[in-house]
Amino acid sequence: MGGFFSSLFSGLFGTREMRILILGLDGAGKTTILYRLQVGEVVTTIPTIGFNVETVTYKNLKFQVWDLGGQTSIRPYWRCYYSNTDAVIYVVDSSDRDRMGISKSELVAMLEEEELKKAILVVFANKQDMEQAMTPTEVANSLGLPALKDRKWQIFKTSATKGTGLDEAMEWLVESLKSRQ
Amino acid sequence: MYTLLSGFYKYMFQKDEYCILILGLDNAGKTTFLEQTKTKFSKNYKGMNLSKITTTVGLNIGTIDVGKARLMFWDLGGQEELQSLWDKYYAESHGVIYVIDSTDEERLTESKNAFEKMISSEALEGVPLLVLANKQDVENCLSVPDIKTAFSDCAPKIGKRDCLVQPCSAITGVVRIPVCDVSGVCFSSHREGVNEGIEWMVKCVIRNIHRPPRHKDIT
Repeated sequence: MGGFFSSLFSGLFGTREMRILILGLDGAGKTTILYRLQVGEVVTTIPTIGFNVETVTYKNLKFQVWDLGGQTSIRPYWRCYYSNTDAVIYVVDSSDRDRMGISKSELVAMLEEEELKKAILVVFANKQDMEQAMTPTEVANSLGLPALKDRKWQIFKTSATKGTGLDEAMEWLVESLKSRQ
Repeated sequence: MYTLLSGFYKYMFQKDEYCILILGLDNAGKTTFLEQTKTKFSKNYKGMNLSKITTTVGLNIGTIDVGKARLMFWDLGGQEELQSLWDKYYAESHGVIYVIDSTDEERLTESKNAFEKMISSEALEGVPLLVLANKQDVENCLSVPDIKTAFSDCAPKIGKRDCLVQPCSAITGVVRIPVCDVSGVCFSSHREGVNEGIEWMVKCVIRNIHRPPRHKDIT
């Protein structure tokens, strides 16, 4: 009986966990974003070797958020986590103009993967609190986003340390994922 | 025999795909229009809550099938900064839908300038153009003739391409248009602003032989 009600409940309110990957180069702020979303605080992080995974609940939607290490040597392992991904949050350090090109090629390679074909792309132009930060449009152009023609994408300016922009980005993501279900 | 079979296969399983750009200033109602279109043309599509739509800073996509044609929509952000991304899509577009906020008289000139810049692009020459005077459900909004007057000096640049200006209400999906009969009695008639526009667009993109469609297998 209890099982019946719980299945009815989950059928009505759709509690399927959404699987989200947070990717980006090392030092972009992925781990800070993950814990900002989960506990709402800035935590002191060290470079991630491997991954962090947390469950985040936002607007009644449960997310299983994977934050994968971004260093060159471990980027090849990102692909092991691609299956069943609903959305990719791609984090870019907006003040790191020199490595925009590398960030672009990693993104392009990632989006070519068959397993991510249906995933929604959200780009966080992070570290907007820095003075020399590029604008979202500049970031979009340097990442070659306008070349994406069959995927829904959106770019947000964020500052993980200040906590700005994350809410609207998550709100957008929740609505987009809901309408896709 | 092979040709016959492959022709049959194509007839059954292939669709002609046309890419349609949705442009206009921010807050004109582009994303709402796209969602409304998707809801109207695809069965079983739940759609986004129209009141929850926020500013687009990127790209929304949507696909609908109308007869043998498959329309793929690209809805781009309209903020001034983002308008620099528009031209990246021109070369591959088969049609353009330009959305105007009929309630925003202050920004009409801004909208006209963006429109003028868009239609001046060589990459869009001959591409059918649907102009939507959106938000017609709001009282005291600008009428289609008002907007046509404001955009009148763009007319020479439109040139030979197919162009239609239509009243529309993306949020409700229908428009009320006052109709007066000979005796002077006026009543309002409901028209499907969204459907009519899309059907016109389908007709035009198929007719436009200069931009042949992409063939896409239906899976």
